[in-house]
Amino acid sequence: MGAYVLKRLGQSLITVSIVVLTVFLLLRLMPKNGYFTREDYVNMDRDARTAYLRNLGVLDDPFTQFGRFLSGLARGDLGRSITVYPRSPVLDVIGEKAPYSLWFGLAALALSMALGLGLGILMARFKDRFPDGAGTVYVTIVRAIPSLIWLFFIQQWVTALLGWPMVFYEDRPVSWVLPTISLALSGIAWYAIWLRRFMVDEENKDYVKFAVSKGLPWKRVMRGHVLRNALVPLVQYFPQQILLTIAGSLLIESIYSIPGMGGLLVSAIRQQDNPLVQALVLLYSVLGVVGVFLGDLLMVLVDPRIKLAESSGKGAAA
Amino acid sequence: MSGDTILEVRDLRVSFSLRGRRLTALRGAGLDLRKGETLAVVGESGSGKSVLAKTFLGMLDRNGRVDSGSILFDGKDLARYNKEREWLGIRGKRIAMIFQDPMTALNPLKTVGEQIREAAALHRGLDRVASRAVVLETLSRVGIPEPELRYRQYPHEFSGGMRQRAVIAAAVACRPEILICDEPTTALDVTVQAQILDLIKSLQRELGMTVLFITHDLGVVASVAQRVAVMYSGQVIEEGSVREVFYDPRAPYTWALLASLPQLGVKGEELYSIKGTPPSLFKEVVGDAFAPRNPRALEVDFKHEPPVFPVSDTHWARTWLLDPRAPRIEAPETVRRLRARLARGGAGAAATGGADTGKGGAE
Ligand SMILES: Nc1ncnc2c1ncn2[C@@H]1O[C@H](COP(=O)(O)OP(=O)(O)O)[C@@H](O)[C@H]1O
Ligand SMILES: [Mg+2]
Repeated sequence: MGAYVLKRLGQSLITVSIVVLTVFLLLRLMPKNGYFTREDYVNMDRDARTAYLRNLGVLDDPFTQFGRFLSGLARGDLGRSITVYPRSPVLDVIGEKAPYSLWFGLAALALSMALGLGLGILMARFKDRFPDGAGTVYVTIVRAIPSLIWLFFIQQWVTALLGWPMVFYEDRPVSWVLPTISLALSGIAWYAIWLRRFMVDEENKDYVKFAVSKGLPWKRVMRGHVLRNALVPLVQYFPQQILLTIAGSLLIESIYSIPGMGGLLVSAIRQQDNPLVQALVLLYSVLGVVGVFLGDLLMVLVDPRIKLAESSGKGAAA
Repeated sequence: MSGDTILEVRDLRVSFSLRGRRLTALRGAGLDLRKGETLAVVGESGSGKSVLAKTFLGMLDRNGRVDSGSILFDGKDLARYNKEREWLGIRGKRIAMIFQDPMTALNPLKTVGEQIREAAALHRGLDRVASRAVVLETLSRVGIPEPELRYRQYPHEFSGGMRQRAVIAAAVACRPEILICDEPTTALDVTVQAQILDLIKSLQRELGMTVLFITHDLGVVASVAQRVAVMYSGQVIEEGSVREVFYDPRAPYTWALLASLPQLGVKGEELYSIKGTPPSLFKEVVGDAFAPRNPRALEVDFKHEPPVFPVSDTHWARTWLLDPRAPRIEAPETVRRLRARLARGGAGAAATGGADTGKGGAE
């Protein structure tokens, strides 16, 4: 167990390092103009620009810069934002925005699990009948229609219908509801479709017939055997999904003006805010890797056939 | 029929709907199961053996239904059962079944002990402690060593033979009156097969169960069963004691089946195999279903379905050959050879290759 965990942590560290180094170097290939805000660029003369760039440290060779990044990291200092939130410490920026994404994300995830798993169970239980058909229609709509369309629909029409605010207000809980639901819609579809599928797979297995032949009522077979086994392949994804809620949703946060993490990485990249990009990439890759690792550990707990020594578990969904 | 009949099947018709068409899997099957006996059901694959057994537990696949006929058990007609509640009094409690493949019959994510316990607790109304004790007792009864340890293990920690023992334990833990074994050894190693057969035999004796033993291997019949029912194309076409059916088979299909026994082959001669294929179950069968494959079929075989003709009190067959008007047609040479063989020592022993390794042998 100990050896396995160490080995996996070592692998995770390597993965994260490669991701961060790659992004770090790619950023250094960008044109230097990108480090200026428009006004700054216009207002500075040639020398002032050079001094500014030297001050930022982007004129040194990339490996020196990377060394500086690492030593900062060791001290818990990820630098200051350059262009997106000029001169604010990156950690403060993240610390301020992350809670919004996290809370919305966790609420939406809880909603997706509750409704999605419930819908999946209904679809499997009433396969080829009305609940299954209705569920399939829902899943198809959510997946086939571009999310922008139904997200706008919810924002425009549902808020009008209910008389609710169209944007997020921190002090008005009613304004939190629609963003959470919007955020959960695709998760509900995901859970429903995969749970249905895994349950139907399990239902057709021989051990279910044997359980029935032992005289167990169908409901008990569904609960104690089919549902239980069908949840196993999904369990693997729980930790990842929980951890990555912190990344937020670009679309929903911008529609409802939620000051979360959603658009942060995109604007940081577009505005060449190196320290911010680096910090976010580091954060997301660590969370991603840790999530996968925890998922694998969880699989060992729920599936007695999987041993720790084996490499990552087998799963399905994506 | 006789007073000691525990289960009586009459004219059972079962069909399945398959992509808009109806497939008739049982076309008026009839059978008597007597208390305390082992009845072997034999026949080519696809002849309806498993479908027949599943009707006793109300476990036809969802696309199937019993169209007509009766299954009398303890004064009740199981063929009329259609609610789960009705079946729950029978399934696993009074009639239990073990399936062909022990590798897939157990839930891989639950301990073996728990899978036996859940049924025992349900049917015998026992609490956790008491039902656990029953499971441990049953595990050792079926020859699983170290029951305490095995109780906590998962199916993948069991070998194939041990798994089949666990499946058998789950089936007999509730002391069913009838145990249906649907090709219980087909998926196992030859050496293990003999042990499982022995186990079933000794459990039957100890627990006083009636066993319906489905197999397509005629070789094991004599070693496990007292009586045989031969199925062809959704009907039982001959039923009698092992001796009667092996010594004095009357239906041409039984002849053909016996003639294809590998044990009857003569070195250097090609083994007999039945030519052709059974009739399509999608179509109405006219006459004797075996007639098109029977080189010596009578004219009437193609026109009218043969009724049941008694051969003796305990032996009957469905073939026009037993009609007093029929010409005299002898069983083929190979089948008569079997008779000689049987007279010398018994086909069963020859066929199973000395099946008396003690139970609980190493696996
Ligand atoms: N669920 C089903 N749907 C359609 N046909 C079925 C179904 N189950 C069994 N059958 C058909 O019924 C016939 C008898 O099957 P079965 O009883 O399994 O034969 P066997 O004698 O080999 O056990 C076969 O032709 C099979 O294809
Ligand atoms: Mg079968």
